[in-house]
Amino acid sequence: MSDIQSKPVISMAGVTKSFGLNQVLKGVSLDVAKGQVVAIIGPSGSGKTTLLRCINFLEEYDGGSIKIEGKEVGYKDAVGERRRRSDRDLAKLRGDAAMVFQQFNLFPHLTATQNVMLGLVKSRGKSKSEARQIAHKWLNRVGLSDKFDAMPSQLSGGQQQRVGIARAVAMEPKVLLLDEITSSLDPELVGEVLAVVKELAVEGRTMILVTHEMDFAKEVADRVVFTDHGHIVVDAPPATVFNEQPNDRLRAFLSRFGSFRH
Amino acid sequence: MGNYHFNFAIVWRYADKLFNGLLLSIELATLTIAIGMLIGLILALIELDGPRWARPLIRAYVEFVRNVPLLLLVYLIFYGIPSAVDLEYDATTSFVVTLSIYSGAYLVEILRAGLAAVPLGLVEAGKAIGLTPFGVLCYVRFPMALRIALPSLSNTYVSLFKDTSIASAIAVPELAYGMRWIEIQTFRTMEVYLLATPIYLLTSYAILMLLRLVERRYAITR
Amino acid sequence: MTIFLQTLPFLLDGLLTTLLVAGSVVLIAIVLGIPAGCALVFGPFWVKVPLRLYADFVRGVPILVLLYFVYYGLPAVQVNLSSMTAAVVALTAFKTAQIIEITRGAFQSIPTGQTDAAKSIGLGLMDRFLQVLAPQAVRRFLPPFINSLVDTVKGSSLVSLLGIVDLMLSLQQVIGRTHVALPVYLMGALMYFSINFPLSVLSRRLEKRFIY
Repeated sequence: MSDIQSKPVISMAGVTKSFGLNQVLKGVSLDVAKGQVVAIIGPSGSGKTTLLRCINFLEEYDGGSIKIEGKEVGYKDAVGERRRRSDRDLAKLRGDAAMVFQQFNLFPHLTATQNVMLGLVKSRGKSKSEARQIAHKWLNRVGLSDKFDAMPSQLSGGQQQRVGIARAVAMEPKVLLLDEITSSLDPELVGEVLAVVKELAVEGRTMILVTHEMDFAKEVADRVVFTDHGHIVVDAPPATVFNEQPNDRLRAFLSRFGSFRH
Repeated sequence: MGNYHFNFAIVWRYADKLFNGLLLSIELATLTIAIGMLIGLILALIELDGPRWARPLIRAYVEFVRNVPLLLLVYLIFYGIPSAVDLEYDATTSFVVTLSIYSGAYLVEILRAGLAAVPLGLVEAGKAIGLTPFGVLCYVRFPMALRIALPSLSNTYVSLFKDTSIASAIAVPELAYGMRWIEIQTFRTMEVYLLATPIYLLTSYAILMLLRLVERRYAITR
Repeated sequence: MTIFLQTLPFLLDGLLTTLLVAGSVVLIAIVLGIPAGCALVFGPFWVKVPLRLYADFVRGVPILVLLYFVYYGLPAVQVNLSSMTAAVVALTAFKTAQIIEITRGAFQSIPTGQTDAAKSIGLGLMDRFLQVLAPQAVRRFLPPFINSLVDTVKGSSLVSLLGIVDLMLSLQQVIGRTHVALPVYLMGALMYFSINFPLSVLSRRLEKRFIY
């Protein structure tokens, strides 16, 4: 166990990020070990989505450091001066922290298979036939074996999101980033998506998920992180976070979700 | 390039032509926009709420006017009609009529879209508080439609201002005609254009900025 | 009636000139405008600002004034262009600004999530542009572009004021000879209509097809 702890997949230290005058992240530190599932919860504006988006440099963090398996994400490891990585470097690193989005963001002009294949061919250098095999494998895994050639406009929200998950997982990322992936779904479609995520968790994938689905977080996460006003306030196993509720702000936040009222 | 001696003084002597021309351009634009809005509003209402048989007629009007060059329409009305029918009018009147018909065709589309976009709930609310259909139109639908359509209207108004330059083809003494007149008189082509082009630019810009200010206050964007 | 048949070949010649002028303008404007539009969206600050200024400047001036400037104004500084060249230059300058705007709009209307998703599966800038953004931009570009062709054909009628024998001037010359005004103008209107109306319809149909 200690072996895994000594080399975290993701290590964030003192990360700060401002949008104009608004400082959204005020010094966040978080380590995620291999195989861990970390759920991030918190009120809107607390910085949880920003934090996630800094990990794959969709947002440029201002200060602190974020490392994926030791490699600094946005900037070249340089003593003293930090230089922004080139677009090509960034591209390679981003594939290792593939993201699934709240708005799905499937490419509308490509079929489901092509959506999954694109990253494999262009970023991982796979041949088209190899990529197609991998794409079909993953589409099968998420339960869409009859939708290989469907266009995103022909798929339901839940199906689109499952393609989104397949697209991200097919990259064999070191960590999977899930940004409120069920928030845009009709309630009856949420279950099918969460089922897929649970399977991935059980398999031992490293995942960081920002979510409002408290029940799901409790079930699937190894650790739950509560953010508030740009800080990590609580970082503990689900049982501690949801049952004991060791923090006032956490308690106030959770009381809004009926089943956790104390 | 070096042999040309810029001489702005000569051009300045005739500056009143430019100034009066600009005034006339603005007058033409304002008048035609007003008439065009009236045409556009009435036809838009007929197309939305009126009898079925009127719709293809309005469609024909819109499609015809929008797919034929403005210059052709100007000539058609200024030269064509008086030659066939016993009618006489001066160039300015002719141009105002032409540009009004032209602008009406564009404004119908914009106003129709604006009116159609007014939420039904608002219209029903208007009826619920006892307004007559005409009252609902005046107090609910029209104001809302205008606010929704404001960006498209702004662009169209500026375009129409620029289109007043076509009047120069039938010797209406607006800005473009003034430009040509001075240039023909003085042979100082470069100076005239260097002077007059910014006038168009600044005026277009000023109109646009004014409308953007109104937009900021009143426009509704989804 | 025979007048119409006699003058028709002459008018068709004019129509050909109109189409030639409009066609050249569109072709050159595409070659210049689309890369410029892309540069406006993706390029560095020192490229964006001049392009922005150019597009706004040209579109703030009536086409007619632009035509006059190129044909009558430039000779004063020793730039002598034939009427045809001047016409094409002026109209192209205007059309290029239009295309820059349409291209810009096409790219900027693509949801930012598309760029996010493309980045997140490891695509670099070139791949993002070619595989994800450009295909979607094309669908957003075509309807307004086809619509703008109507404006170009209409705008080409202004070259008649420069003495170029396009359809517009042909009409006037026929009227000058036959003294029959209204029917000839109406016939000319019909000819312009027969070119522009199909384009308008095509543009609207494309717009319906490309809604995702």
